[in-house]
Amino acid sequence: MSEKATALIIGGGIAGMEAALKLGQGGYRAVLAEKDHSLGGTVSKLCSSFPRWEDPQDLLRLKEQQLQSLETISILRDTEITGIEKKKGTFHATWKNSSGEEGALNAQAVIVATGFDLFDASIYGEYGYGIYPGVVNSLEFEQVLKDHTDGKAALPRNIAFFKCVGSRDRSKGHPYCSKICCMYTAKQAGTAKNLSPESKCYVFYMDYRAAGKEYEEFVRSVIEEKQVRYVRGRPSKVVMEKGQLLVRFEDTLIGAPMEVAVDMVVLASAVIPKPATRRLAEMLGLKTDEYGFIEAEYGSAVKAQENIFFAGGCGFAVETIGASAQGAAAAAEVMALFNKGGKP
Amino acid sequence: MMLTESPIRRLDAKAPGLAEELKRDLDIDITRCLECGKCSGGCSYAHGFDYTPRKMVQLIKLEERGKLLRMRALWTCLSCQLCLDRCPSSIDMPRILDYLRGKAYAERLNDVHPEIEKFYEIMLSDIRNNGRISETLMMARFNFATRRYFSNADLGMKLFFKGKLKLFGPKTKNLNSLRALFAKLLFRSPAEQEPS
Repeated sequence: MSEKATALIIGGGIAGMEAALKLGQGGYRAVLAEKDHSLGGTVSKLCSSFPRWEDPQDLLRLKEQQLQSLETISILRDTEITGIEKKKGTFHATWKNSSGEEGALNAQAVIVATGFDLFDASIYGEYGYGIYPGVVNSLEFEQVLKDHTDGKAALPRNIAFFKCVGSRDRSKGHPYCSKICCMYTAKQAGTAKNLSPESKCYVFYMDYRAAGKEYEEFVRSVIEEKQVRYVRGRPSKVVMEKGQLLVRFEDTLIGAPMEVAVDMVVLASAVIPKPATRRLAEMLGLKTDEYGFIEAEYGSAVKAQENIFFAGGCGFAVETIGASAQGAAAAAEVMALFNKGGKP
Repeated sequence: MMLTESPIRRLDAKAPGLAEELKRDLDIDITRCLECGKCSGGCSYAHGFDYTPRKMVQLIKLEERGKLLRMRALWTCLSCQLCLDRCPSSIDMPRILDYLRGKAYAERLNDVHPEIEKFYEIMLSDIRNNGRISETLMMARFNFATRRYFSNADLGMKLFFKGKLKLFGPKTKNLNSLRALFAKLLFRSPAEQEPS
């Protein structure tokens, strides 16, 4: 393939950034298109990270610095890919940015890294999301944590965390486990206890899934050291009582219906594909699963089709470190492609 | 050494499959249960049950037929459907309980809780005779039958003076069609009845 072969990376979250970084460090050309002004995607909204309590913004700053030093990487901010088609091995893409400018570009490979969305929890009438201001989803809670850290608004005193909101629920069309909620919920409850040790945090769980390096130890430390209370049972409803949120649940270990009054309820909403992912999948003719996540070809974790790869949440729910790894893997696929038959 | 019965409950691997029975007769798949308890935390009356809905599912899995057919909750469930509405796996618990009540009748276990059975009997006979229920007469008959003559009398008087209780309830206009309905139902034994 010619030396000028270019990869188009759609989505500038942690997966797309990592893919661009690896391609650039290897001397390959790539265009990174991000619909927002700032890079980082979901990670840019996070207050802390697991399993090491690091600041995700430090990670993003480091990656962005490294990216900016690379000559072969161009970043299109505020830019959406409006169309893409493949002709004779070349992808012809059109883009439009927020100031109305339009343009076109060619690429020999595409990496889709459009990220994920959270399921709209207001579908559960019984949880009161969208009705009670104290009921928020997990990404909104990251902002609550940030606001507290920045001194803008104090953290509510007692907090209940509901896991599996939308996930593992056939009746709402998402029978799958969203994979990341067990870990980020532990992180969020632990962070809340760090910021306000006198608060009470309850995590309602069916089971906790901590399959990853240092993950089990992380959750145990949240329970044992941060003193977050884990209660086994999926809450049934949230009602308002004397200005507080009353959570009704069955403690399934004791086997009795119970209730607890809290000041905030955090819903770990199911991870779902973004509409942008569906659009791109349609334009490129990519195979998706029944929920709309991009499917991998047999034998590769990140290959969607000939010369089209994907990384991060557009394939399925994935945590920060996993999204980075997929970004790097997608970059490796592109390098192998661009360097086919290259000099040893 | 004396042989005594072990105090530890032993699962009966040879017991007929209750879960399979529910699948066959009601097309309800109990294996979908995630054991999350969402049914039970929101249940209108679980705080008064001997077994919460989640525990009932577990009893089904463990083939605890006797416990299920004798449990008090079988008769005190309000059939409000909240458990079904909340269930992430859409397990139709009210329908399972309907089915089990039929079984309890068929196995003549319906008088395990005689008061509840009496209440059902009186209420149904009222409907059968009049098409509607007269609360005053029904409660009076229930109190006599259970020999608690003045139970809830103060509440009854209050309601009566507020005009909420009538001495005689209204009758249904077309009693013949109602009788036909009952005749059709009683023609078959409860176990054969299709769950509604």
